Amino acid sequence: MTRFVRLACAAALAVAGATAVPATASAHANYVRSNPAADARLVKAPAEVRASFTEPPDPKGSELQVLDTQGTRWDQGRTTASDEPNGLKVALKPMGDGGYTVAWTTVSAVDGHETKGSFAFVIGSGPLPALPDVPNASPAPSALEVAGRALSYVGIALALGGALFGLIVHAAEGPVEERRERQLLALAGGAMAIGSAALVLAEGDRLPPRLELLLSLRLLAGLAIIAALAPRLAARPRRYAAIAAALTGALTATLVSHAAALGNGKDMTLDLVHVVSISAWTGGLSALLWVYLLPRDRSGPPLRATVWRFSLVALTSVVLLVSAGVLQAFDRLVLLQDLVETPYGIALLAKIALLVVVLVIASFNLLRYGPRAERRALVRGTMVESALLAGVFVAAGVLTALAPPAQPTGAAFDETRHVAGYRVELIIPTASPARTRFVLRVHQGLTPVTNAEKVALRFTMIEHDMGETELVAGERAPGEYVVTGSPTAMYGTWKVQAIIRLAGKEDLTTLFTVPVSPNGTTASAAALTTRSFALVVFPDPSAPVAGAPIELSVVVLENGNAAAGKVVTGSIVAKDGQPIGGDTFTASEQGSGRYRIDVPALGAGRWTMRVQIGSPAETADYIFTVTP
Amino acid sequence: MTRILSIAAAIAVVVASLGISTNPAAAHDRRAIGPYTFVVGWIVEPAYVGQINALDLTVTETASTKAVEGLEKTLRADLIVGGGAATMPLTIATRFGLPGKYQAQVIPTKVGDYTFRITGTVNTMAIDERFESGPGRFGAIEDQAALQFPDHVPSNSDLAARLDDTNTKLGIAITLAAVALLISIAALVPTLRRR
Repeated sequence: MTRFVRLACAAALAVAGATAVPATASAHANYVRSNPAADARLVKAPAEVRASFTEPPDPKGSELQVLDTQGTRWDQGRTTASDEPNGLKVALKPMGDGGYTVAWTTVSAVDGHETKGSFAFVIGSGPLPALPDVPNASPAPSALEVAGRALSYVGIALALGGALFGLIVHAAEGPVEERRERQLLALAGGAMAIGSAALVLAEGDRLPPRLELLLSLRLLAGLAIIAALAPRLAARPRRYAAIAAALTGALTATLVSHAAALGNGKDMTLDLVHVVSISAWTGGLSALLWVYLLPRDRSGPPLRATVWRFSLVALTSVVLLVSAGVLQAFDRLVLLQDLVETPYGIALLAKIALLVVVLVIASFNLLRYGPRAERRALVRGTMVESALLAGVFVAAGVLTALAPPAQPTGAAFDETRHVAGYRVELIIPTASPARTRFVLRVHQGLTPVTNAEKVALRFTMIEHDMGETELVAGERAPGEYVVTGSPTAMYGTWKVQAIIRLAGKEDLTTLFTVPVSPNGTTASAAALTTRSFALVVFPDPSAPVAGAPIELSVVVLENGNAAAGKVVTGSIVAKDGQPIGGDTFTASEQGSGRYRIDVPALGAGRWTMRVQIGSPAETADYIFTVTP
Repeated sequence: MTRILSIAAAIAVVVASLGISTNPAAAHDRRAIGPYTFVVGWIVEPAYVGQINALDLTVTETASTKAVEGLEKTLRADLIVGGGAATMPLTIATRFGLPGKYQAQVIPTKVGDYTFRITGTVNTMAIDERFESGPGRFGAIEDQAALQFPDHVPSNSDLAARLDDTNTKLGIAITLAAVALLISIAALVPTLRRR
């Protein structure tokens, strides 16, 4: 019975360890941008909806549903990949004026994880439809998926740690130890194979091809470990085979990770190091108990030497594990306060605290019981260490089930500040001086702050005196305040002051520094010069569509300062490179040095507009493309 | 000729000064309420924290631009910080020799936006309007640091915040010291027992 309990303890440790690792690797395809844009107001119905995400979605399981306020679907039902990076598109039926909600579901092509969300647009002059009172969310993984992952990582840990133990720490001696080592490796191979199969089953029809390939590879790696147990294979080659198979399994884990989805080499390396080091430690500890300490009484110098060698392996693993974990934490935490204000941070703190206790006990094994060759104390110490490590892994399991505070948005500017106990995140999709959407997320911990009396953004430019502009944001989703405008209408550095007014409280204010540069994502913004003036010209919408009105914003500078009171006109002079005698439009002045030319609908093509500031000598040609 | 030039220069100066005197009004919030026009702002702008200032209220009949007098008896003003974290009732008084113009003195002690809430009646019309500082309206209360030279002198509110911070740190230090003391005593117990 005692033996069974010890085996169960060792297995539990490996299971817990396994559960801890994988979810750090979970990938999610979150919304980045769309056409029509979120909250867009259109004058005519679009023919299709396109949306881009932070990670590649698999079109097979992903869907864009376009619904009117009555819940009637207006999409044609078949969502396909678009030509944009990580993009999806769906064709639409002829739609009338009104508000529409696009409910999107993405299945990550990397690991098959599902994410849901929505955005809205309106055709005509009606109100924007309310968005569902649910933030973008990923459904909890199924029990089969969790079990599959746990088994996979148990396999990796037992195979890697067990085989390394046999190669570096203590080679199994005699039939009992050899049998136990084979049992450990058989368990490892079986767990990897069954775990991979369970993950394939959990994904069902939605299984993306890339994930299918990697899970198949992991399954084969598990089977290879079992095949390596053939009696003809000597112990040493068997261990090498097990290590190779375990590393293959660890690599497949990294390749379905969030880091892999983002193509982040550093994060992928850290992820692999994290998986390998925790596997070497926990699997080695299982082997120390099951193969070495439990079968027979040990004493004297051999026990001391074995404990010393294992401690070196464990210490190296711990150093790598902690280093990789800390570096990963830097990427996943946004603020230091996240450690105490978010569930993810609290779970991380709990894991660190338990790890510290484990290391204290491990140091007893290394410095006291090992040198004194006290087997019973070592068994007891190792058991306690194992139990606490299980706690560490449970904490890590919780940790990895939670969304880290740092979530990719794909925005050109995304910065979070901590103001008087509140988290204030400013997201600006584009860094160009185009009309854009400013999103301010306000949370207390992870709880969205709703019903703010007022949320305002005030814009001032550092390099030039462009005055101060204010935009007042409305709440579009819980804790998410959104406003669209073009206050950052010039290349340069802008100070954006966020003011959040909550009932009965002092205003929360914080200042962001936002660079607006030509390297932004909207290529249609252009810096032009006439004889005496510098111009920045950009269209709204940033990607003009045929048949829809276009507003061209023109910022005019004279000797670096805003040029007010000028007569600004725009004449269509060419289409697709062929000169034409088009209409001339007179701009209206929107503010100091800011002008707007209203152009009625144009057809698809490459248009050239000659912008004139005052006299005919002061002209510059602005070329823009109107898409069908 | 010199005299004519002098008169012309004097007129130019007066005209220019009239132009200048209209500038502060640009930093006020002008609003038509019924048949009246309310103009609200700080009497001194830019307005700095810790400096005496006042509500600057002008009420005229929109159609005739005639000043509306006697409102110190029928109007009430409150100064509100943030979303109502603190509200101060202000005493409205007439400005000597300036019919239709009223003031209410205050020393703002925090940097940021303030809201004047004007309630009461003008003749028989009920008034309940909020005038909030911000771009295109009137200025927020600003920090004096940008104007201070050569040394930056912290404002009273900054000093109070720093004092609160120091008190918090002092509390933590005392707690840590007490814990350290208890651990020291606990460590001494085995030694004392051995003796």
